[in-house]
Amino acid sequence: MRGSNGNAFFKGKKPLPAENPAPGAAEKYTLGTGMIQVLMTLAALLFAAPVFIILNYSFKTVRELYLSNPLALPESFQLGNYISAFKKLDLLTTFTNTFIYTAVTVVVLVMLCGASSWAIARCKNRFFKFSYIYFLLGIFIPHQALFLQIYMIGFRTGLINTRLGVILMYIATGMSFGVFLMTSFMTTVPVELEEAAKIDGCSVYRTYFFIVLPLLKPAIATLTILQAFQIWNDYLMASLFISSQELRTLTLAMQMLFSQQSSDYTTAMAAIIISVLPVAILFISMQKYFVKGMTVGALKG
Amino acid sequence: MTRMLIGGLMIMALIGTSLAWGAPRKTTVTILAGLSSTDDGMQEIITKAVAAKYPGITLQWEALGWSDNFHPKMQQYIQTGLPDIIVGKAQDVATYGGQGLLADLKGKKYLTRVLDAAIPGVTIKGKTYGLVYNCLYQGVYYNRKIFAENGLKVPITHAELAKVIGTLKAKGITPFATHMVDTWSIGNMTMQFAINDVFSKTPTWGDQFRAGKVSFATSAAYKKCYEYNKLLFDNTWSRETFSLPQADCDARMVQGLAAMKVSGSWSIQNFMNVDPNFDFGVFPFPNQTGDAKLIFEPNMTWMKSARTKHSAQVDQVFDVLTSDKKAAIAFLNLTKTSSMLKGVSPTFPNPSQKDIDKYAAAGKLIDANSGNNQLQWGGFQDENAKDIASWLQGTMTLKQALEAADSRRAISKP
Amino acid sequence: MRRKSFNRREKLQYLSLVLPGLLLFTIGLILPMFLSFSYSLTSWDGMSAAKPFIGFKNYARFFTDPFAGQAWIFTFKFTFWNTIIQNVFALLFAIALNSAIKGKKIYRTVFFIPCLISAIIVGFIWLRMFINILPALNRFLGTNINFLLFGSGKTVLAGLLLANNWQWIGYWMLIYLAALQSIPGELYEAANIDGATTLGKFRHITIPLLAPAFTICIVGITTGSLKVYELLVTSTWGGPGRASTSIIYYIYNTAISGRQYGYGSAMSIVLVLVLFLVALVQLGFLRKKEVQL
Repeated sequence: MRGSNGNAFFKGKKPLPAENPAPGAAEKYTLGTGMIQVLMTLAALLFAAPVFIILNYSFKTVRELYLSNPLALPESFQLGNYISAFKKLDLLTTFTNTFIYTAVTVVVLVMLCGASSWAIARCKNRFFKFSYIYFLLGIFIPHQALFLQIYMIGFRTGLINTRLGVILMYIATGMSFGVFLMTSFMTTVPVELEEAAKIDGCSVYRTYFFIVLPLLKPAIATLTILQAFQIWNDYLMASLFISSQELRTLTLAMQMLFSQQSSDYTTAMAAIIISVLPVAILFISMQKYFVKGMTVGALKG
Repeated sequence: MTRMLIGGLMIMALIGTSLAWGAPRKTTVTILAGLSSTDDGMQEIITKAVAAKYPGITLQWEALGWSDNFHPKMQQYIQTGLPDIIVGKAQDVATYGGQGLLADLKGKKYLTRVLDAAIPGVTIKGKTYGLVYNCLYQGVYYNRKIFAENGLKVPITHAELAKVIGTLKAKGITPFATHMVDTWSIGNMTMQFAINDVFSKTPTWGDQFRAGKVSFATSAAYKKCYEYNKLLFDNTWSRETFSLPQADCDARMVQGLAAMKVSGSWSIQNFMNVDPNFDFGVFPFPNQTGDAKLIFEPNMTWMKSARTKHSAQVDQVFDVLTSDKKAAIAFLNLTKTSSMLKGVSPTFPNPSQKDIDKYAAAGKLIDANSGNNQLQWGGFQDENAKDIASWLQGTMTLKQALEAADSRRAISKP
Repeated sequence: MRRKSFNRREKLQYLSLVLPGLLLFTIGLILPMFLSFSYSLTSWDGMSAAKPFIGFKNYARFFTDPFAGQAWIFTFKFTFWNTIIQNVFALLFAIALNSAIKGKKIYRTVFFIPCLISAIIVGFIWLRMFINILPALNRFLGTNINFLLFGSGKTVLAGLLLANNWQWIGYWMLIYLAALQSIPGELYEAANIDGATTLGKFRHITIPLLAPAFTICIVGITTGSLKVYELLVTSTWGGPGRASTSIIYYIYNTAISGRQYGYGSAMSIVLVLVLFLVALVQLGFLRKKEVQL
């Protein structure tokens, strides 16, 4: 209860930087603006073209793919590729798994990164400064080159082929960026509010959960989107930790379709569309917060 | 925010319960399968066949691409323990068999159902580590229609091949279909050439190479094998080949845009996907002495972990593989490959079968492992292929490419 | 006295907030890094039980390995051009989307969607674009533009830059856009009263206030590009020949298919140091600029 009060109080006092009227917004729609509009439309068409081409391919048959003009529309909108992708990818299982890994990792990661960053921002002694730099080190470590070691640590700890193992690994590799992002946000969290809470007798944990975390919404949205699409698309970590069919992710199921000798391109195209859709929807639905989050991050980063 | 928390906890609980699922009731046999894309889908056939005969066995598959992902996965498992069954290629026996990781199958009944020709390639120091399930034929696949229309005969010597190329070029037909964006195809072609020009003459060439007795830079025969790549490159769509993936190349071949392709049975599935009536044959790429043999490659190979806890069940799976002929035929028809089991032949129409039978009857077949067991693929042959690509692209000289192979001598042993 | 002990308890509580993350991070990423260093001193093949100690020989070898040199050159070229192209276009797009044009949300979404796609798929898409789609466009338009960018060592960099920028421009654009939108409008109004030109406003208000965003984008793009790997595994496979072999691609290939895990580990240690150094130098330089402005 106290938390939500605090939140309301804060909201009234100091609004977060919104998508405020940009300098241009006040300006009129001039000839110059019209030209920009045309140029942007052209650029957008170029950017969207590959996506449309995949979509177009995803309805073609193998014969059409090779024998007809690549630019032509499919002869009929048959859904065979989607059905075969659905079967080949074992979609029900892989989709659920990928969703669980992504959702749990993001939730836990947000909590942990928020907690670490807050502590780092508030306690300015040597240890916390050191841990900030220490976390940042992770940004420079290419984990592709460490795959045997990561696997062996997973094995020693008994986490291979478990959901928990995959999730913990994602958290471990996502910490660096998360702390980097969240720490830059902490300047937007006013210390006064926390001090007021402290005087009221709030513990550090209570303050974190009910006062600090709600203020971090834009940062949370940003981190959520950025991490979600990375985990959703990850191949390497999943392939290290998972071998059983029931635990497979979407990308693991997809990899056969993209191997060197692969020829089942039409199914692959349908699979791409299926796999991109959820993250695209996530982005579109969280866009508002995301851009806000980016605003603060970019300014204070 | 509280809602988010509760949501998080609920998801955690969900994982908790899902972790508890899947406690095995029956015996679960784990299989790591390194597959070519032509093999994908075969898991279903095998699973069904095993379930029919041994309902107490559940197969747990982990299927991945052989060329890109199989070896890294094996490296992981070597650190911690292999799955019960490993499905790879016959050449993997040379890589993993010597390290005590695989079980000896010698004396098992199922091994007697496999063609005798498939045994030596997977036998090391008297121990047989693999059950070879099917085989591929490698050579020059050619468009019969184009050959017939232009009065061309299958070339046996290089002079004859030059004539064929000349005639095709005069008619405006691209002689060779090639795809070099994936360097493995260069590696594969070079090995095909080397089998007939190097390893058929000197079976221990690789051992001599490591002993320092021969080298790429000084071997006239191996130099020739490198040069054949240039011959192909000069007689193909050389502007496009380094952009072209395999499936597109095969499709062009079917459309009659080129007359020949140095390839293997893995192209058949692609041919037939595009045009089920495509008429093609196969012949060995001519060698210097005009006695080239058609290459057969024992392909999918089933291996048993030396430390499996389910030894009896693995044997039962292997028993099903070799005794269930219906499943075997379904598998061969799916993959469009040839059998390595006695008395089993696929029933899909294969226009190149009559050529294969002809070479087989004349005793003109040679095992691809004669080369693959002498020179390691990963790290050696595929690196050589990159040198060849660089040479064709003009960023390396032929001499440098050959010397680069010599510099990798230490890691050439399979 | 009482106050102090309270502080100490509080500090412990703060400590407990950092520790779980710190622990996971250490076990999952730093520990493997240390293991990597210990392997780098051996000639381990990645499979057998024996890990013969050979000291710093792997490091010495790295500096004389011509293929590693090639890989570094490719990686640096890729990084250099990426940093320039991505920053310029991201900024231009952001400025355009910050003007009075209509349908901003649609543009934003269109530009951002490619970075939601896994780099492995992006590579695959562009391989198909270059060999199928764009040549068909040539035939359609009757032109003869060379679209086979992956097919030659001379153009493969351009092709990969195209694919990579298609994927990431929208991402960095959002950061610039966010930064632009947080510039207070009053600043521009004041400048208008002073009779400043559009260019003058851009030069004296926009650019200085974008400084933090520049820092993020430049460092982000540089370190990201130096680690390029996934994009290559379904598009060029590091070829033709070795023309597009990045340093990580080379490390992975040497350590795994090449069965030289020790040598591969040594290279990854060097890579981490290089990444760290580049970021430090850039940060030092850019932060200094921020202060000056």
